[in-house]
Amino acid sequence: MSGLDRFLAAILWCLAVLCVAGLVHILAVFNVPKFERNGAFGRIAALTKASGLTLLPRVAPGAEWAPFSDPALAQGACRFDLTHSPMRLRGEIDGDRMLTLSFRTPAGDIFYSMTDRAAQRGAIDVLLLTADQLETLEAETDEDEPAPQELRLVAPTTKGFVLVNALAAFPSGRLEAEQRVKAISCEAETAAQ
Amino acid sequence: MDALVEKHFSENRLRERVALIGKFLLAGLAGLLIGLGVTFAALRHGVGFGAVKAGPWTAWPKAGGDAIDPYLRARLTRSGEIPLGASEGVGFIAENDSAGARLDGACDYTVSGQTPQARYWTLTVMTPEGRLIANPAGRNGFTSSEILRSADGGFAIALSHNARPGNWLPLTYRKDFILALRLYETEFSAGALAFDPANLPVIVKGFCR
Repeated sequence: MSGLDRFLAAILWCLAVLCVAGLVHILAVFNVPKFERNGAFGRIAALTKASGLTLLPRVAPGAEWAPFSDPALAQGACRFDLTHSPMRLRGEIDGDRMLTLSFRTPAGDIFYSMTDRAAQRGAIDVLLLTADQLETLEAETDEDEPAPQELRLVAPTTKGFVLVNALAAFPSGRLEAEQRVKAISCEAETAAQ
Repeated sequence: MDALVEKHFSENRLRERVALIGKFLLAGLAGLLIGLGVTFAALRHGVGFGAVKAGPWTAWPKAGGDAIDPYLRARLTRSGEIPLGASEGVGFIAENDSAGARLDGACDYTVSGQTPQARYWTLTVMTPEGRLIANPAGRNGFTSSEILRSADGGFAIALSHNARPGNWLPLTYRKDFILALRLYETEFSAGALAFDPANLPVIVKGFCR
């Protein structure tokens, strides 16, 4: 082996190392959300019931359930699992108080978000379903029937969670904000007859 | 004689093969370590696309929608942070003051100016890890409703160890801290990727102990 041969071989080995490193890096970045149990979904799953809305604990020094949380918010979460049936999220909206909703996948992606300003006739009514369930529902309904008032939202994943935020504009409004969060209901939609 | 030469030859080949396999393993291992190391460093230092900077403030508006990139998603999953949805609002973080120096718990600061159009905003003092800081006054931040404003609608918030008249946020932490500004239902969304620094509050350092 001449000196040039050795040099070329060394370069090839370095390139091989770089290729492996690049591949490992890409795979690692894409797979972090799958293996991280401390992510948003893991934390929410540990705090909530399997169905219905759970009021999340108040954020206080030393008692944050997630970092970078806004202490002025009252928060609640519903986990959803659309394997067997769609989920309906309903709630009356009270006046001009801010309430926001975000619909998230287990990886934490937000596929839809809205605020109380999107409420129709003083209520929020969202039917969360899979693409198949939407197709079945649309096939069942008569074309003559008036358009539904509810918002039909197709979830990209069968599982995930909805986060409900209500802002307490003043510290004294804390309980009232929690009441507004609790006024939202999430229930599995029983099959229409 | 021939048999001896052949044995010697095959021993040499065996040795070469072992060396080659060893090099393969070494290259694989080195690649694995470098790849994981780069990933760890990238997630730790907040490498990603779509950061919006305006003065001392940084936001990641893409975190609120479908356009989130794998780096940002991985980082948020690792920290457990729950970003605001695009329709809910957008959150800004300031680690430095307007002059570019790190926010230091040993100094006083004034946060003043304007905020972009939003239904509400909140300003919160946090540790760089996103935790709240316990203080005797029990106050970690302000909402836009609580703030006392001047006649032109502007505001000034004093961050200090000593009580101040007007809008006062107590500092007790003697190390680095950060400020989180959250704009709820703002006109700015993930689509508008340019913030004018003049629309966001300035952070000015005061007396240091």
